Amino acid sequence: METIKSYLDNMFAGLPKTARVLDLKGNILSNMEEKYYELKNQGKSENEAIGIVISEFGNIDELVTELGIRQDEQAANEPVVTREEVEAYLSIKKSMGQQIGIGVFLCILAAAMLILLSSALEVIPGISEAAADAPGIIALLVLVTIAVGIFIYSGMKFEQYKYMEKGVQLPTYLEVELKQRYDQYNPVFYLHLIIGVGILILSPISLFVSSLFGDRAENYGVVILMFLVACSVYLFISSGTVRESYSRLLKLGDYSEQEKHKKEDKVIGAVAAIVWPLATAVFLFCGFVYGLWHIAWIVFPITGILFGMFSAAYSIITDKN
Amino acid sequence: MISSDVIRGYNDTIILYLLLGGESYGYEISKNIKELSEEKYIMKETTLYSAFDRLEKNGYIESFYGDETFGKRRTYYRITPKGQAYYKEKCEEWELTKDVINRFIKEWNV
Repeated sequence: METIKSYLDNMFAGLPKTARVLDLKGNILSNMEEKYYELKNQGKSENEAIGIVISEFGNIDELVTELGIRQDEQAANEPVVTREEVEAYLSIKKSMGQQIGIGVFLCILAAAMLILLSSALEVIPGISEAAADAPGIIALLVLVTIAVGIFIYSGMKFEQYKYMEKGVQLPTYLEVELKQRYDQYNPVFYLHLIIGVGILILSPISLFVSSLFGDRAENYGVVILMFLVACSVYLFISSGTVRESYSRLLKLGDYSEQEKHKKEDKVIGAVAAIVWPLATAVFLFCGFVYGLWHIAWIVFPITGILFGMFSAAYSIITDKN
Repeated sequence: MISSDVIRGYNDTIILYLLLGGESYGYEISKNIKELSEEKYIMKETTLYSAFDRLEKNGYIESFYGDETFGKRRTYYRITPKGQAYYKEKCEEWELTKDVINRFIKEWNV
């Protein structure tokens, strides 16, 4: 029976999924099903029954011309994927989201460790500034190295599923099922979003509270703030990736046919590729050359805000055109 | 088995004939065609559903949803008065066609 269903899915794959076409497909499917069960009752083998049913399907072009259905040229060229491929893609995307989330978490934690260790060691009497900074810098480099390793590893794992993001066609039953799963996942996504934003908004409290305990304690406040930011970033990335994987397969929102042709992603992506490494370079430069580790991290939130403003403004301007 | 090319002009007539006997649905119609033609003609799914679409567009048949069977809504078809008139026309046309073509058919005694 599955063979007949997937045969029909393939036959209808290039046609637009309008209510009329889907209705027609449903009718033909139940027709074929009935024929199949009757053949089986007559004592035909599984293969014989399927063979007869499929040979009596006819020619899809006949329906296309008769119904005046305009074939979706672009969609017709996209490969049809199986359930196994979709499940594998979704699970690799999920773990990829977690891995990238952990990687980014480690990067932020790395900067926090630097501040934590250097301010903890500063108080040791007779210690030189360089000696106080060294363990923190080593911790930073080690953590960043681990994070980079995770990024490369997860990117490598994902390589073989890249084609899934270039536009694929889902068999109808899978599309319906995925839509349900997407709808079920949405509340989880928004919950994570709310928790993440909540943590971000409340995180500066750690600064005020720590400043009550004196100037030195303020540094620990920064560390706690950065840890909280890292937690919320992890939430955004991990749940955002899962949602994105559904949106891509279902061609929703940013991944719909209309949005796909917009160029803005490329421009924003290109700017991001310059701005973020630049911010990191400034951070490392200020730290190593001027020893401003305790304040240089401010580069990242500033870049974040400016970059957010830029991409929002860019989207609005290009939208008008 | 008859090739679908030869019979093309009369697919609609065949379906209308079966609907004259009362409302019916896709599979029942295709089964009846197979049985009445003693398996000499099997109408393909795509031919059948193209015909339903065309007949309905022309107002010769009406479709409606029947009761649910096995959790599925089945689409039923019934013939309209317009369809009956069209069927009669097609019958006359066939008589004429048969008569004309027969004049060019030679009996071969092999």
